[in-house]
Amino acid sequence: MSLLKPFSKLPGLNTASILLVESEEQFQQSLADALVEETAVSVYVRLAKSLPLPKENEESRPRLDLVVFIINLTSELSFHSAVASLKHLDPGYFLGKVCFMVTNARTASVPTERLDAVRKLVASLHCPLIFAEDQTPDGVTNATERLLTILKVAAGLVPMATALYLSNLTRCTVPPDIDQPSFD
Amino acid sequence: MDDPMKRLLQRLIRRIPSQMLKITLDKWGRLTAAQQRSMDFTQPKRVLTEKLLSICEENEWTVKHVTELEMIYIMDNPNQGMWNALQLMDPEDDSPSVNLMQFKEQFKSHLGEIVRHVSVKMKKHTDEAIWIRIAWGDGFSRSNHLKPTYVVHQLQTPYVFVTSLTSKQKPLLSQALILATRYQNIKDANLSGQKLTAIRDLLMRQYQQVFPNKYHSPLTEKTQTVLNTQIEREQAESAANRCQMACEAFGDGMLPQLQSAVYKLETKFRDPANKTMTEREEPFRCVVKFASTNLLESLRQCASSGVASTPVTPLLSSIPLKGKNYFVVTDNGPGSSQK
Repeated sequence: MSLLKPFSKLPGLNTASILLVESEEQFQQSLADALVEETAVSVYVRLAKSLPLPKENEESRPRLDLVVFIINLTSELSFHSAVASLKHLDPGYFLGKVCFMVTNARTASVPTERLDAVRKLVASLHCPLIFAEDQTPDGVTNATERLLTILKVAAGLVPMATALYLSNLTRCTVPPDIDQPSFD
Repeated sequence: MDDPMKRLLQRLIRRIPSQMLKITLDKWGRLTAAQQRSMDFTQPKRVLTEKLLSICEENEWTVKHVTELEMIYIMDNPNQGMWNALQLMDPEDDSPSVNLMQFKEQFKSHLGEIVRHVSVKMKKHTDEAIWIRIAWGDGFSRSNHLKPTYVVHQLQTPYVFVTSLTSKQKPLLSQALILATRYQNIKDANLSGQKLTAIRDLLMRQYQQVFPNKYHSPLTEKTQTVLNTQIEREQAESAANRCQMACEAFGDGMLPQLQSAVYKLETKFRDPANKTMTEREEPFRCVVKFASTNLLESLRQCASSGVASTPVTPLLSSIPLKGKNYFVVTDNGPGSSQK
């Protein structure tokens, strides 16, 4: 099974490459448009629906510094697709080069179990979890800024900071009483 | 001026929205220039109705005139109510040569023989379709103009579209139709919808069809939004394939607006986890209904976004292929039933 490996290619000068994986293929497009507007660094964005990535693009694909899984909490399919894609990632990525982004967390129709399941998954992988709002331009801008912060560190463009160090500071944790019923 | 006519006119004016009222009255052309000038369409409906009733008295209109107005309005705004499609079967040898005059005479005379006190009005629309308005009566009462049936038929096609037809009136209408069009049989086409134009376009395939081809490059160009070299889709080819297959199944561009699709299942229950249900001999009866403002568009989106697996299952692709939206699914495969 071909895994996506983090260090098998050489990096580019002053560039950062990010892979956005989203089952619905909606939010990733607006995020991509906002990400490439960054001027300090050249950002290359790759969009995918799920992993594994097609072999034909292997040659032309740059070294991916950060893989972001976008999960839409209103859809169970979105969550399962992200979980299934995780298997195709080399374990080397999980040392700070993977990030999870969740949308629609405030929607009332979302069952709380789904968010808890996402948090448990992300905490077990020691990755950061970002909550984003995808319907407004402000929400897209905010999400882009946060992604860029992590991306620049993951691409090695920030002195004195490595991806592993940052992920240790920002990784998702679950409270010990997550399985207790909440008083809503 | 009699009461039924007053009621009919009142009902009709209430039904026509204010914006359409002036246009429809002008098209009808039965108001004199002075009367037209005296109508102020900015006033509330109640006032307009009273004005029209007084003009009605002046001009001595009858029910016939008012039904004319109703027909003009319905012909210009056919996308309301519920339309059902019927299909004529087994044409006789001379059915392709039935012309308009012949059809009109035959239909009127046959229907008049079958039903007493029926009032039939026929009109040819600009697109060559024949519109028929039928007000049904019976042996004891005059025709009821408040609940007319509208029938639309295009000569030389086997399809007839009806609205507001009760089950008692259906066999009478069917009999008159098959005699007038020189076919031997008529059956339910299992297609219904709110928009006449949509179900007609679906049956006559008046929407953009996509055929399988080896090089579907025009579609792949469509999926690329901005030619930004810094953004690239990894799975563009499989996305284009899905889009192509979705379009092949449902068509391209604007699709006819269907509102629902109903599947009546008469298949055996199949679930390895549930033994009690699977062991039953009788089929598991269940009705599945898909509803949407534009059903075919939503199904096409499902297929092209990957929610529905491609190639599109024949259960869904039969909707545009066979032009039906009511299916009975048995264990031998999807089929349609005679209703």
